Formats: sequence, C-alpha cells, structure tokens
Amino acid sequence: MTNTTKQVMTKNLLKVDYEKYSLSNGLQVILYPDLSIPVVAVNLWYRVGSANETNGKTGFAHLFEHMMFQGSQNVPKEGHFKFIQEAGGSLNGSTSFDRTNYYETVPANYLELALWLESDRMGFMLPGLNQEKLDNQKDVVMNERRQRYENQPYGLAWEKLFSNLFSNDHPYSWPTIGWMDDIAKFELDDVKNFFQKYYSPNNVSLVIGGNFDKSNAKDLIQKYFGDIKGNAAVQEIKTSLQSLSESKKIIYEDNVQLPRIYLAWHTVKAFHENDAVLDLLSDILTSSKNSRLHKSLVFEKQIAQDISSFQYSGKLDGSFIIASTAKPDITLEKIKDEITKGINKLISDGITENELLKAKNNIKSSYIFSLQKIDLITDHINHYNFYLNEPDSFLFDLSRYEQVTREQIADAAQKFLTMPNVELNIIPKKM
Amino acid sequence: MIMLDRSIIPIPTKELLFNIPEIKFLKLVNDIDISFVYKENLPIVYAEIIIFSGSRLDPSDKKGLGYLTSLLIDEGAGEYDALQLSEEFEKLGSAFSVSADHDTIILSILSLTENFERSLELVSKIVLKPRFEEKDFQREKKKVLDQILQLKDEPSFIASSAFERRVFGDSYYGFPEIGFAESIARISNDDVKDFFASTFTSSNAKIVSAGNLNETEIVNLFNKYFSEWISISDNNQYFENPKRKETSYYFIHKSDSAQSEIRVGHLSKKRNTNDFIPTRIMNTILGGQFSSRINSNLREKRGFTYGANSSFHYYKEAGLFEISTAVNIENTGEAIIEILKELNGIREHISDEEINFAKSYLIKQFPSRFETLNQIAKNLESLLIHSLPTEELINYTYKVKSVTNEEVIASAINNVLPDQLVIVAVGDRKKVLNQLKQIQGAEPVELDLYGNLLT
Repeated sequence: MTNTTKQVMTKNLLKVDYEKYSLSNGLQVILYPDLSIPVVAVNLWYRVGSANETNGKTGFAHLFEHMMFQGSQNVPKEGHFKFIQEAGGSLNGSTSFDRTNYYETVPANYLELALWLESDRMGFMLPGLNQEKLDNQKDVVMNERRQRYENQPYGLAWEKLFSNLFSNDHPYSWPTIGWMDDIAKFELDDVKNFFQKYYSPNNVSLVIGGNFDKSNAKDLIQKYFGDIKGNAAVQEIKTSLQSLSESKKIIYEDNVQLPRIYLAWHTVKAFHENDAVLDLLSDILTSSKNSRLHKSLVFEKQIAQDISSFQYSGKLDGSFIIASTAKPDITLEKIKDEITKGINKLISDGITENELLKAKNNIKSSYIFSLQKIDLITDHINHYNFYLNEPDSFLFDLSRYEQVTREQIADAAQKFLTMPNVELNIIPKKM
Repeated sequence: MIMLDRSIIPIPTKELLFNIPEIKFLKLVNDIDISFVYKENLPIVYAEIIIFSGSRLDPSDKKGLGYLTSLLIDEGAGEYDALQLSEEFEKLGSAFSVSADHDTIILSILSLTENFERSLELVSKIVLKPRFEEKDFQREKKKVLDQILQLKDEPSFIASSAFERRVFGDSYYGFPEIGFAESIARISNDDVKDFFASTFTSSNAKIVSAGNLNETEIVNLFNKYFSEWISISDNNQYFENPKRKETSYYFIHKSDSAQSEIRVGHLSKKRNTNDFIPTRIMNTILGGQFSSRINSNLREKRGFTYGANSSFHYYKEAGLFEISTAVNIENTGEAIIEILKELNGIREHISDEEINFAKSYLIKQFPSRFETLNQIAKNLESLLIHSLPTEELINYTYKVKSVTNEEVIASAINNVLPDQLVIVAVGDRKKVLNQLKQIQGAEPVELDLYGNLLT
C-alpha cells in the first residue's frame, strides 16, 4: 500500500457524515446513521457540571445525575434501568467539571423506547421526585465517595492537588463528587432549582448514532422532545486567571505502604494550541517502557515502582500532572530530583524525530481502535460539538497532533513545567 | 396539535434477527488450532495466543512463578533487548500485552492491518526466542515484591483473595496469581526458564484471531512465523476438588477503613454443567445486573453501598459463586443479614415476571457481545478454555428461550446454598467485629491478610 492510499483510507474512516439541527425549544440534535451495526446509541450532553456549583454546595451536579435515574412522571424509580436492560441495552451517565452525559445503546428496534425515557426525565423529572429518593441517593453517593476515594490508597490525591492548584473561588478547586459535608446537606429545593436552571432542552445536545432511519428519527425526536419548554439561556461561568506565585508543598498521611509524589502545574484549557503538544509531551515522558522518565526511574535506576503523567484539560482551564511511587527506602526528594533532571534534559537537548513519530503513531492507532464502539463515537461527537461547535472534528483532532513539531514540545516543557507547581507527598501513616 | 400521551410505553413493531459472525476453524502446518472471525469494517486485526498454563502450574513452594514468567516473557527476545523490543512495538502503534490468571497466560496484539505482519513477527520472537536475562529477572522480581507490598493497601484485593483461599483451601485456585513475598523470594531465573520451556509449547497453545484479513492471509502469516514452534507432551496438575463446609464467618482487620469489603459465597459447578443457562438466568435476577434483587435492596432501598452484585465465575476445573460489595462500615452487619435474606429468598420464590425479564435481557444483549474484535475473541476464548462446542454460541438465544421456569427455580435450590457459605468482611476490628457477632449463628474468626486462620 502506498502512502497516499493509506492517507485516503484514514481520511474516509474519520469522516463523520452527520446532520445537525435544532428544535424550536433550542435542543440541538446531531444524527449519524451507520447501518452496518445492529444497535443504535443515544447520547445526551447537558451543559452543566461541577464547575456550575458554588462553595458549600459542591457535588450537586453529580448527585443530580443520580436523581435522573430515580424516575420521572411516567417512569418509576429504577424504571429507566429496567426498561433499557429488558431491551438488552446498556446505559449510564457521568459527571465532570464541565458537563453531565447520559447514554444508552439499544438494539436498533428500541430507539423509540430510549427517546421516550430520555424525554420524560428531561421534561418531567420533578413530578417523580420525593424526599425518600433523595435521602437514598445521598447515602449511595456518600458510599460512592467512600468506595472510590476515601477507602482507596492515594484516593484523595486528585482533590488535594486541585484544591491547592486552583484558588478557592475557582470551580475546579473542588472535586466533582463534592465534599462529604456538602453532600449530606442537600435538600429537595436544591434539586428543583437545579433542574429548572440547567435541565432544559436549550442546554442539551442529543446525538443518535448507529442503525436508524433518519426521517423516522426526526419524527420521533419532534414527538418526544418538541413540546418540552425551553428556559432562559445559562450564563457562561466567569473565572479568574489562575497562576501560582510560588510553589506549594503538601504532605498527607494515608494508609499506604509506599510514598507517592504528585507534581501539578497550570497549563491550558481543552483545544488550546498547546493542549495537543502537552498530550504528546506526556506520551514522551511516561507512556511506554522507552519513554524518558519511565526508562530512567523505573527501568534503569529502579528507584520508582511506577510513573505516569497526563495533561488534564477542561473548558475553563488545564493542568499537567506527573505522579510516581517510590520504591522502598527511596525518598520522594530523590524521585523529584530525577523527574526535574529529565525535564531539564528534554528542554535543553530537545526530543528526537523518532520519539515524536512514536508518540503520534500511538495516538493515531488508539484513535482508530476506539472507533469500534458506537457509544464511544457518539460521545466523541458530542464532545467535539461541546468544545468546538463542530461534531465532525475527528480529522481536525488527529491533525492537531500530526502538526506538532519537536521544537513545540521542548518549548511547552520550558513554558509550563519550569513554573511554580503544587507538590503533593502521600506518605505512610506513622504507627 | 394533539397532546402526546407519555404514559404509553413504546414497544417495537418488528423483531430483530441476529446471527453470530461465522467462525472458521483453521490449522497451522504444525497442527496448532486457530479460531478466526473475519470483520472488515475497520483496518485493524486482533490476535491472541492462549497458553494453557497460568498459576495452577505453580510449584507449591513457588507460588507466583507463572505470573512472574508472564512479566518476563517480553523483556527481550531474539535480537532485541527489553527496551529495543518495546521500541519496535511503539514504532508501529500496536498494542501488545500479556495477561496471566489461574488457567492461562495470554499474549495479545491489536494492530492496524498494515502493521499486523510486523507485529506478529515480534510476537513470534517473544514466543520462540525470549531472552530471560538475569538483570531483567532481578528487576521484574523486585517489582513483583513491591506490588505485593502495595496490595496490603487494597481492601478489595484482600477480601477477594482471602475469600478464594477459604473457598478453595489448599487447591491451586486458593492462592493469588501474584504469589507471596516468601514464595517469590525462592524463585530463580532458571525456574522461570523451566516454567516457560515446559508450558510454552505448541501442543499447549491455541490461537484466536479476528479482523480485517481473510482466512488465507491469517493462516499464511501464522505459518510464516510460528511453524518452528515445537510440541512437547502435555503437562497437567491434578486438581483436588475442595469440599464445602457449613457456613463460617471471617473478618480481616484493616485499621481506619471507611467501608468494609464483603464477600459471600461458595464453591460451585464447572462451566460445562447442564444447568449453566438456567443458573445464568437465576443469577441475573439475584445479582447479575443493576436491577437485580441484591443491588436493588442494598443500594436502591437501603443506601448501604454504591453497588452490590453476585456472579458465577468459571475457572477451568471449578466454579465460584460470589456476592461482592463494599458498604459503609456502620452497616456491615445489616448488609450481611440482607444478603442472607436474598440468598434464602431466591430459593423460596422467583416470579414469572422476573424470569421473563432476565431472559429478555440475556437474549437481546447478546448481539452487543460481538461489537469489538476483542469481544469476539473473548467469546471464542471461553469456548476453548472450557472445551465447549461452537453451538454454545450459535444456539445461545434458542437455549435461553427454551429454559422452563421450573429449571430456573431448581437452579436456585441446587446452586445457592445458604448453609455452606464462606463470609468474609474486611474492615476495622473496632467497628466490624461486634456487628458480626450480633448476626444469629455467627462466630467470627479472624484471618491474616492472606486468608489464613490467626490462632
């Protein structure tokens, strides 16, 4: 196969033939038929996440996501799960800083069922609400917090980092799951107010992907979502510019055997021109056996049990994080020292063409592998629509990485990773 | 405009038919079997080599040998040292990985079609010419020892491995794949080489593949790179079936824990049992999915947990019935009492409605088990591990439909045994012990972190 045919193939593969339109109530609809598969995926993004919360009321966007599975006017508690599962479908929802998503993948003949369920809770959730359901889900979420964070070794690292990296008034400074005290305090009125403010069709985009007939789907969408009233537009979140004037060091004792160090820097938001550069930098530093820091700390010097890094980028801001667990009897200062040396070497010597090529190939392959699942594709379409206002951005996204040069990688390391940072040490509890 | 009546639940007008993709059974020149499915929608290919090995072949004083071998197998092969070999895969963007469990070690590769041949050539070097150098052995051995140390922090791992230790006793499923600090310390690089030589033979291997190459291309590629692979007579370890005992309560102390990890269950039948499908239907109702009795009770009714489930897990030589949950530590005793109620309850009554729901769920979700190459391969892998015919997949929908309600009810009575349970709770002694003592008939016994009795 020649190079040109390969490129053509990649191009066609990543071209998403979609139709986008809005209902009169403001609901955005994106249709992406693919008749080669037996299922249809329905994916909704509500433009509300924990960044819309305030201090003292943290964790509510996520708790609300739980409440959306507690029934609505015509759907009983647990009914949403029951109907979809009986149809052989899979379903869930998730909450991040910036958005809340809900999705179900069902056999192609069950599209109408999924639309009926999603529309009932979008328009008529409040009549299904009561105190008992709220109390139950507060308990469930508090147990989620215990299971996923408090009872996990190093489980509180993320919230300790972000609450120190961002100023107290910045909405990325609290965790999406929320603080335990806040979760315990929520009341029915909070649910009602939140629903009225954020859960209206003009604040949602609905993607349907997979096996369906386009004109039939349009009729069904009008039938189920057309009469749900829109509300006032939600105001954009305003945040202050974030930077650290000097580095901070936090030490936290946990139920762990080996100490772990985390380093976090302020970087850039999603799809900023340096966002892809920092993804590639992370790949070059820690993603494989030959990546720089892994090779040095884990493979050669054997002072670390593991090392990882990533660029987290949201709608409002971003951060680059490196984490590494020390081997027994190795200090975290030693680990930090080696990480710093590795970063400085990358800045002074730059990276090789081979390193850059490997990182790009890795990202391209993972991308194509991910196209196997229609639920991931529909979620991606919503992701692109949310951040870029263009659902068909698969090729654009990949080209962001293809265009990055060696110089940009070293420049980004210099620009971001030499600035003040937050250092978190999670160390074994003293007996 | 007429107002929409939203109380009407939409019901599909037409049924969907689903046939599983065609499975081809191919053979290499040296007799190795390949199960293959052609799938053309994306330019990617998946393949895995299943070695019937794993920790069940660990010598009794060297637990963890199979797992350590699986870590070392790709640390250098043929002309490449460990870093160079990894570099070759990285250049291709191919995803290569090795996994080890009780019954198998599996080497898998997912690659773009254009890079599949080169990826397979690298895999063949790993299978045929691993280096097993001493410095790599020392590094990976130390890494395993430190992993074992870190697992002391994982309440979920501690609960599961202690539970299996109590259920399987001294038989080979009773020990974690990763081994123990003392047993790893006894392992030498020669042990690894011997384990490899005796288990990585062509007669002990099967291949599964799926993707965008035709069957001739697949067979030709495997013949090109694997024809030198030789066969050595099979080896096997005798499995001594443990016995179930009367219900016993155990706890493991973990200081300052916010939750307790709970495991409840017992030994169960092998995968080839006649009532496999009735049992699957029964478990779907009991704890196999979100709307099940156990999750509805512990999570949606009482709020004790983020989630609770039950499963019948099938190893090659034995089965395991297990309920698993993590609950707020104050609710440990109540949660166990509710689990016991559900186990007794499923033996007393199952409604037609529940059975119809479970059958519908299992039948209609079946097509989605063939969406990715990896999922297709896992279905084929399961047939090979349990020596089952293809009809298990082809006739699955028909078989689920034909199960009678009596068979589902009988499956609960025969396979859920509330008086022969192993019950393990991991949490802070100060909070957990008293709650356990208050359960009728419970005399909790303390275990160490590995599930051994503390006396």
